[in-house]
Amino acid sequence: MKKLVLVMAALLVVFSASAIVMAQGYDAQPADAKIIPLGEEGTAYENQEPGVQGGTMYVAAISDPKKWNYVTSHETSTTQYCFLMLRGLVDSNPVTSALEPELAKSWDISEDNLVITFHLREGLKWSDGEPFTADDVVFSFNDLYYNEDVETDTRDILVLPDDTYPVVAKVDDYTVTVTLSMIFRPILSSIGAPILPKHALAQYVHKLNPDVPVGTFNSSWGLDTDPAELVGMGPFMVESYAPDQHVTLVRNPYYYHYDAQGTQLPYFDKYVVLTVASQDVSLLKFRNGELDALGIRATDVPILKREEAVKNMTVLVDPDVANYGTSWIGINQDIGLAEGTYENLRALYRTRDFRAAMSNLVDKQAMIDTLYNGLAVPQWSPVSYLSPFYAGRDYYGGPVTETDAVVFEYSLDKAAALLDGIGIIDRDGDGWRDYEDGTRVEMELNTNAGNTVREGVSLIVADRASKIGLKLNFVPVDFNTLVNKLFASTGEMIVLGLTGGNEPNSGANVYSSGGGLHFWHYSAADEPNELEKKIDGLLDAAVGTLDNDEAFEIYKEYQITLANDDLGLVYTVNPAFTYAFSNKVGNANISSPVATPSGNNGLTMDLCFFK
Amino acid sequence: MKLTGLRALVVVTCVVALFSIVAVASLETIVSDELIPEISAAAGIALAGSYADTMTEAELEALAVNGRTIGLRTAASEALAIQYRAKTEEEIMVILKGTADPMIRAAAVEPALIYLISVTSEAEDFSLTDYLKDIAINGETHEMKLAAAKAYYFMMRGSLKAEDLEVQAVTNDSDELAYAAGEILSGFYLSFNPKTQAELEELAINGESVGMRVAGSTALATLLINSDLTTLDFETTLLSIAGTKSAEYRAAYKVALAVRYGS
Repeated sequence: MKKLVLVMAALLVVFSASAIVMAQGYDAQPADAKIIPLGEEGTAYENQEPGVQGGTMYVAAISDPKKWNYVTSHETSTTQYCFLMLRGLVDSNPVTSALEPELAKSWDISEDNLVITFHLREGLKWSDGEPFTADDVVFSFNDLYYNEDVETDTRDILVLPDDTYPVVAKVDDYTVTVTLSMIFRPILSSIGAPILPKHALAQYVHKLNPDVPVGTFNSSWGLDTDPAELVGMGPFMVESYAPDQHVTLVRNPYYYHYDAQGTQLPYFDKYVVLTVASQDVSLLKFRNGELDALGIRATDVPILKREEAVKNMTVLVDPDVANYGTSWIGINQDIGLAEGTYENLRALYRTRDFRAAMSNLVDKQAMIDTLYNGLAVPQWSPVSYLSPFYAGRDYYGGPVTETDAVVFEYSLDKAAALLDGIGIIDRDGDGWRDYEDGTRVEMELNTNAGNTVREGVSLIVADRASKIGLKLNFVPVDFNTLVNKLFASTGEMIVLGLTGGNEPNSGANVYSSGGGLHFWHYSAADEPNELEKKIDGLLDAAVGTLDNDEAFEIYKEYQITLANDDLGLVYTVNPAFTYAFSNKVGNANISSPVATPSGNNGLTMDLCFFK
Repeated sequence: MKLTGLRALVVVTCVVALFSIVAVASLETIVSDELIPEISAAAGIALAGSYADTMTEAELEALAVNGRTIGLRTAASEALAIQYRAKTEEEIMVILKGTADPMIRAAAVEPALIYLISVTSEAEDFSLTDYLKDIAINGETHEMKLAAAKAYYFMMRGSLKAEDLEVQAVTNDSDELAYAAGEILSGFYLSFNPKTQAELEELAINGESVGMRVAGSTALATLLINSDLTTLDFETTLLSIAGTKSAEYRAAYKVALAVRYGS
């Protein structure tokens, strides 16, 4: 999931490289350490408890990371590790999801809301013992995120409507100002992007080190990097990586979070992510006690409920709380564009009524019943169900009424009529629909192998399409292969998901026409159509006001436009929050759609411990 | 719909800590007494972790076969199940299909699941569930069939409802399939299709098939564990129902007692 309100959306995967030489750690608790008041009444953490250091936490993922470089990452199989190794100026509280100081200990906002002064925590060190200063902050924004030589989606959520970026400037070693050219409501969440170590990474940046070629940074901190070279401010650092086996992380001796008793966090010595073949294997390993926490599916609930008491675990099920994020079918309107191939298919995909027909083919109720045991809700909006900006509400933060929901009912008749209307009919009587030139309409539908829910969604869609003579060939592929297909624009139709959060602008890297994850229509970056121009304008307008109610109305139009007219992504269903953990893990009860001990936003792993 | 997304329906089942956990030394005494087989077996289940840590595979295999009491044999078999997780697919299948004592083969059933649900084939028309079902019907041994049946229902769980399973727990293509259907069904009785304790007791005692009695028994065990009943309560009950009711009903108390003993 996206680091909630903080950063860009990342491609969602339900989970899923030598010894590191660690420095000694602090001689004493830094004066500016961040204190987590576990168990203290009146605080967000009153239902948690102080823990003890020690032990190794085991979780699982169904995909290996692609790299260790957060800046250039797009996928949670990578970011889940980056968020354990890195921290930003601000972050989300794992209990309340409210923004709170992180590497910055406080900030001041000018009366005109155009200048934010961040006061950094003093005396902190990177995991290799080097001091953390304002230079790292300025480096991260000016030399990485804003650097056109660096491939990063983060720029998409930092760019202001006037195409400028927040100006980050050093005042002194522990003070940084961020100056805006115009009002930018989500600045605090956007500026929370992870801070990178200048002393470790400047050597790879051409503008700082002309001896290296342009673009060198983009391949830095790859999987072939010695983990000892990775440097961070987060609770854990990668110790070792074995492809298809595990990623082992070890406590960062210079992590700056402490509990109120003065114990340095994280509590765990190590955090191991086992790579498994499928979610089902994860489930069996959790049952066996080989994993300590697991994001489960609705279909796992009966399996675990019968063993919950015997095996001393907790199974969380909240049918009323849908997860953040979106699940969808992406229809690649640029398929074959670069190669001059797939002309028929590309033209079809670019036809709105085809995408509408696909929407009518999504049998959401069957998905909810068969794949989620009823623990899911139909999804139609690009904005998360839990977001106060979700257009299923009547006003900002109001209850979900779905009054204005865009509904494409499941209807084979309507889908067939739409296809008939655009001339996609069976011309040779073989039962399959054909293009005007008589060739069969046939397309490949991919999702990531091992994700049984997405495989189920794909099979249901392919089945319903076949009922009206539309041939979809379902082919599951490895997650990272799937991501490569997305970025190379070679995937025809893909079932996948995106992380989500409260602030819709954090999806600007997906939904703006020039976004780095606008993978269903990358060519829009150069030639946006009128609809895409409208969506870009709505995104700009919504961040240009400090009035949440006004922003809500703008985002409502944005959501309805995407769902009803653009249809680049055809949404499926949104699962309810379900999670399981061993009762030997303390503070795992913090689990919620905001943060979980095995989740990929790194918010709670430093708080958990073995009882 | 809650807006915050922060509150979750937490079903905490960690009640074990409320009760005293019996020391290993005491369990060794209990497990050596077979007067009430379920009490002996409960102590055996509670001892399994300790045995797995301290005994060799050969020692455990010998104990699983020749242990003087059902408790000792259960402890050894359960401990083997833990050690067998480290075995390869081929090694597990050799045990399951072989002629070893049933207590040894039983230890291989759960470790086999990860392999069975991961079977692939080059054959274009290969269906994993069909493959598993075939083994569940025609497997070489009861334990092989049972492992396949459990794997089959594990894979099928998303497409079956409680009412489907209630049929399949009674009438099925093999006893093992009916048993496995009942196991999965118990989870529905604890989540999507809840039943009262009285209903589960009735089912565990008088269910019309082993599968239905297993469904009732497995779900009942959870309610017992989550109850205020003490170790002594469970021991007393097992004493009073010794040899009566049904094996599945007694098994619910055995499992609950094992948890109280500290399994």
